[in-house]
Amino acid sequence: MSLAFVLLLSLLIFCTGVAGVLIRRDPIVLFICIEMMFNAANLAFVGIARATGLVEAQAIAFLVIAVAAAEVAVGLAIIIAIFRSQHDADVDHVSSLKG
Amino acid sequence: MGLTLALGIFFGALALASALAVVATRHAIHSALWFITHLLCLACIYGLLNAPLLAVLQVMVYSGAVMMLFLFAIMILDASVLPALPRGKGALQALGGVLVALCLLAPGLAWLQLEGRGMSQALPEASADGSTAAVARVLFGSYLYPFELVSVLLLVALIGVMVLASRKLDSAESRP
Repeated sequence: MSLAFVLLLSLLIFCTGVAGVLIRRDPIVLFICIEMMFNAANLAFVGIARATGLVEAQAIAFLVIAVAAAEVAVGLAIIIAIFRSQHDADVDHVSSLKG
Repeated sequence: MGLTLALGIFFGALALASALAVVATRHAIHSALWFITHLLCLACIYGLLNAPLLAVLQVMVYSGAVMMLFLFAIMILDASVLPALPRGKGALQALGGVLVALCLLAPGLAWLQLEGRGMSQALPEASADGSTAAVARVLFGSYLYPFELVSVLLLVALIGVMVLASRKLDSAESRP
């Protein structure tokens, strides 16, 4: 494996995540696609850690995983709160920030 | 090195295919299950890239804890009300297709850039640098404060989720 292979794979996965966020209207799938972008960034970090021998990149990937976990917990709670108050789960219809 | 390359190409292709399946399947539950496949493939690639700690964390935290949260949310939200991917060839989908094509063009350009910088050479032999002990030394050394801040962040997220979950939604009845 070369670094270019890993970075190319990371780029393709990131683009897939971007396309998913643009195409889908389901908040859960939107969130999954955002997670996919996080993972693409992590893959690039790990590949760079392997190619340059900098373990710091792995430490950053570790922190990204922790932040993503916190973000998922809060995001899903917000989605469920919006669903409970508006009974609608289409991101195109939920245009108001008022609870 | 040949076996590593073959496994890398296999898991990379599988990761990319499952990522596309996440976007292309019509229902949220199928997307979530494909995403678990995607995460497991990435964990295998982390293992190949000499990052065993992240490979294990990927399986435990991501495909374990995070995806369980997603499946819980899908269960609570009642999957039948979630908007599925539209069937027709709407303007939104056409726009998405164009954007995807543009996104797929970018890697080719990036590849051409990387070719000239020696990045397409095979990675050097694995050393002990990626081991868990080395990561821990960095994480509890120069990255100690970010690491501790993450624990504060997780605590704040925990409290925030509890507040959001226990809040009474009085305004729901008054709304049209």
